[in-house]
Amino acid sequence: MKLSKKVVLLGHFGVGKTSLFRRFMDNEFSEEYKVTLGVQIKKKLIQLPDGRELSMIIWDTEGHSISIEDTRKSYLLGSHAFIYVFDLTREETYATLTKDLEYLKENYIKVPARVLGNKLDLVNEKEIRRQLTEKNIPFDGLTSAKTNKNVESFFLDLAEEITK
Amino acid sequence: MEEQDKLKILKELLFTEEHEFADSIAQKVDDLAKIVHQKKELSHKVDPIIDDKLEEFVQEIPKTLGPTITETLREEIKNSQDAVVEALFPIIGKMIKKYIAHEMKLLSENISRKTKKAFSFRNWFRRTKAKVQGVSEGDLAITDYAKPRLIQMFVIEKNSGILIADYSPLSEGTIDKEMVAGMLTAIKSFVEDAFEGGNQNLELIEYELYTIHIQNFYSYYVAAVISGAYTMMFKEVLEDQILDFAKNNISSKDLENSTLFTKKLKKHFADEIV
Repeated sequence: MKLSKKVVLLGHFGVGKTSLFRRFMDNEFSEEYKVTLGVQIKKKLIQLPDGRELSMIIWDTEGHSISIEDTRKSYLLGSHAFIYVFDLTREETYATLTKDLEYLKENYIKVPARVLGNKLDLVNEKEIRRQLTEKNIPFDGLTSAKTNKNVESFFLDLAEEITK
Repeated sequence: MEEQDKLKILKELLFTEEHEFADSIAQKVDDLAKIVHQKKELSHKVDPIIDDKLEEFVQEIPKTLGPTITETLREEIKNSQDAVVEALFPIIGKMIKKYIAHEMKLLSENISRKTKKAFSFRNWFRRTKAKVQGVSEGDLAITDYAKPRLIQMFVIEKNSGILIADYSPLSEGTIDKEMVAGMLTAIKSFVEDAFEGGNQNLELIEYELYTIHIQNFYSYYVAAVISGAYTMMFKEVLEDQILDFAKNNISSKDLENSTLFTKKLKKHFADEIV
């Protein structure tokens, strides 16, 4: 039987959602920054460890500037998972993280939200981990869309999680 | 005779010629000043020269400036293709529209002429229909060809945009249906959100010769891609057929079983929609 899941990428402007999206979907990366307007959608077929095939439909939404509540609600409806991306080099992109996660939990009860710190290539991993822990910033993974560090494994883990 | 007078006489003797020459120069300068300062006088003298030069210049333009102008225009068009297309689009559109209208008229007349000559039951029927309706046979034949046809049908989960089932009476095609379903849902959501129409739904998308008929249900919607003339009558029939299908074939179990749903959809819509 066909298995399809909708995953939505969320987060502030310029945190690298589209770069992660392109890296995972097409294994491409560009230094050129283009703002996403509205949403772009792509599909990736993932072979699950149990032999099933998953169509992961990823919605790359435009970034919000203040709060996640600015994101168009209809894009979030019917999601099977959220990926909240923040920029490890810009503190303002995770300043509202706790509040934004609460908002998602309240409004999309059964939808898991995973947090991803991106642009790992620009920081010292040990140091940033220490800083995030110190500031009580929850995260499920640290990635670099530029170097492709941890990108594939993060999405594959998520695929397994949402198909359990 | 005093010394002074002697000098004067000597001056006159020595400079008479120069005086006369100086006077004639002064006169000429006066005449020139008159010509230069009086426009009419000047144009009388200068216009024929300018006219000659202009004529020469105009004749030389293709040789001298032509290549430069052509090159500049080519470069400008190359650098601003979008702007050029933007500017030309409405003009070309009007021309094409006029041309098509003219060609359609010719085609209609041609069909009428040919159908008059040929005899068959179908033609006889069309001829009678044309007489009853008071339209030309050509127009009726064209309407037959523009008959609406189902190209593709999608059943899509409303919120997630996930494709539940799809059916196409034509070839399978190369488009990724799951991405189409997602994008259709995104467009639909955007329109419904952006214009704050309460609980209103997007029901129609038109593009060139195609129409996407959208019929909304509680947890899913049906999108049917139609080619040809999407008339009110066709819309009514299509709506009824989709409603019939939903009523008789769709249960919550079907929504979870994409393969079974696709089979049912194919079976129901395999016959041509009239």
